[in-house]
Amino acid sequence: MAGVLKKTTGLVGLAVSQNPHERLRVLYTKILACVQAMPPDAAYRKYTEQLITERFNHVKTEPDIEKLEKKISCGQIEEVITQAENELSLSRKMAEWKPWEPLVEEPPPNQWKWPI
Amino acid sequence: MAARFVRFVRGGLSRSFNFPNRSVTFVQARSEATTTETRPTVRPKDAVTHNQLSAFGEYVAEMLPKYVQQVQVTFFNELEVMIHPDGVIPVLTFLRDHTNAQFKNMTDLTAVDIPTRQNRFEIVYNLLSLRYNSRIRVKTYTDELTPVDSSVSVHQAANWYEREVWDMFGVFFANHPDLRRILTDYGFEGHPFRKDFPLSGYVEVRYDDEVKRVVAEPVELAQEFRKFDLNSPWEVFPAYREPKDSLKLEAGDKLETK
Repeated sequence: MAGVLKKTTGLVGLAVSQNPHERLRVLYTKILACVQAMPPDAAYRKYTEQLITERFNHVKTEPDIEKLEKKISCGQIEEVITQAENELSLSRKMAEWKPWEPLVEEPPPNQWKWPI
Repeated sequence: MAARFVRFVRGGLSRSFNFPNRSVTFVQARSEATTTETRPTVRPKDAVTHNQLSAFGEYVAEMLPKYVQQVQVTFFNELEVMIHPDGVIPVLTFLRDHTNAQFKNMTDLTAVDIPTRQNRFEIVYNLLSLRYNSRIRVKTYTDELTPVDSSVSVHQAANWYEREVWDMFGVFFANHPDLRRILTDYGFEGHPFRKDFPLSGYVEVRYDDEVKRVVAEPVELAQEFRKFDLNSPWEVFPAYREPKDSLKLEAGDKLETK
């Protein structure tokens, strides 16, 4: 219904989404599946899981799009979809990079000392 | 904890000014009060922003312990993340794509040359998040020979910035699509922003009437280069004064003297 009333997002290149709930549900399920393959003590997994689960709960419980946008409060629902897409691609890359491992190399002494 | 967290806090500046509320009728009294004000005018400290930035810095350091070496908030409330050169693409991608960061805009990329360091070049990335209206600075390091991963795959804006850094400093960016000179003249040699590049350059050009074209010749100065002592008699960075540790004895010294 909202998709019929809403003509534009007002943002260039961002089309109005017809079924944002379904789209978000698919994306969030994929992100959670990807994140849950990481080790449980990884900070990236911990925080992303928390963030995505919170938004996913809003999506599940709130059928009205405008109220959902207010609850998530991160822009229009189309922008929230874009953020979820980015987070999905990031989580897949993160699984390759494994940034939760210990530091690759300590900086040389006085590298970050300023003034010299 | 691999990432160290350093804050530049100067306790003396944290005092906020509490001016009592005076109504408009007491303008005279107020002007008198300002003349008798003995405290110096000090830039007010924005503790809220500082805490927000340091909290986000800790968040980034916790998320990417593999690459982040140090996080600091400068005195003017700018968040700086120091990373290992291997982590350029992961850190920039994380900052771009993570929902809590969204630094989608690369406002600047540049380098700093500090010849006394083992890795003399510092590469600096300035990012902007329109969603959260905040900025972040990512710093990494390299020397003359080690290539840094190009960030063009993450931010298209980095293309010309990296060409600039290559031209001016001679830092090589691996996997750059089109790494050419961008600012200097055709056939120019050297990297002018390096500290060991002379101020006058190596060649000068002039139009030659006999050969009917512009010719380049080595620079000839009419006067020898003069070195002035420009050091200030004042201490410039009193906040960064180092404690004297001349009295401390090294453990190895005793064994050698025996």
